[in-house]
Amino acid sequence: MPASSFTRSLDLVFAALADPTRRAILTRLAKGEASVTALTERFAITQPAVSKHLKALEHAGLISRGPRSRFRPCRLNAKALERAALWIGGYRHFWEASLDNLDTYARQLHQQEEKPARKENSQHGKSTTSRRRRK
Amino acid sequence: MASQQPAGAAANEPAADRTVVIERTFDLPARVLFLAYSKPEHVRKWFGPPGYPLTLCDMDFRLGGRYRFAMTGPDGKQMTPFGGEYLDIVENRRISYSNAFEKEGAETMIVTVTFVEQGSRTLLRIRTVFGSVAMKQQHMSMGYEQGVGAGLDQLAVIAGGLVQA
Repeated sequence: MPASSFTRSLDLVFAALADPTRRAILTRLAKGEASVTALTERFAITQPAVSKHLKALEHAGLISRGPRSRFRPCRLNAKALERAALWIGGYRHFWEASLDNLDTYARQLHQQEEKPARKENSQHGKSTTSRRRRK
Repeated sequence: MASQQPAGAAANEPAADRTVVIERTFDLPARVLFLAYSKPEHVRKWFGPPGYPLTLCDMDFRLGGRYRFAMTGPDGKQMTPFGGEYLDIVENRRISYSNAFEKEGAETMIVTVTFVEQGSRTLLRIRTVFGSVAMKQQHMSMGYEQGVGAGLDQLAVIAGGLVQA
């Protein structure tokens, strides 16, 4: 998994899971794929509302949809749910999130390190902020 | 320390069953990652998930030295401190330490971080050997109760079933 993508994809997944209707849709899809029409009938909400929910689930990678535009059956994507389960599974999430931070912070450290080390000489002049730096 | 067996490890539970490995490749030299690991002013900046800053970070970073950490949660309360001893330090290559919560009867885990330089990149491997299989399971599902609170329990069960299938 590329650095820093773990928490970002989790944000999407949990935003999608924050809605009870969307969770109900996922629970239904866990039993097998279903069309928009079938889902609309089951949940007694309008088809545009169902489509909106499906879009959020699709955006989070929680479901995928068939190619035929009219009937496109919806299918649960277990991998994205597994990521959510990993988050629920504390220890791994703790480290994946920490390593995201480490990546960002260590890059900064590295950049600072590559600048000529002149901090020790700062007593020679107060106006060190205007130092020119080659990057 | 020949065998890095956490104290009180169940003798009949093979280390493999108590182990979790987490890996990440960084586009950085090992020395920078080691530095980020070895000083409290750096560790404070990255250790822990967003929303849980390290508000206690005492480190005596040398072989046999001890460290003591605690995070503060989003509710502003400092959580149970945890800490241990540095068991092995090889500059830019390896750090091994024990870790346990400061709680009555808390079990100890041994964490070994290795920095493997691969050209201009570095593979960082965090190998955790828990004191027992039960301890490992407890840590792997530590956030589970919050998950249940958010209505995710059922989904976790579904996900577990589907991924294994």
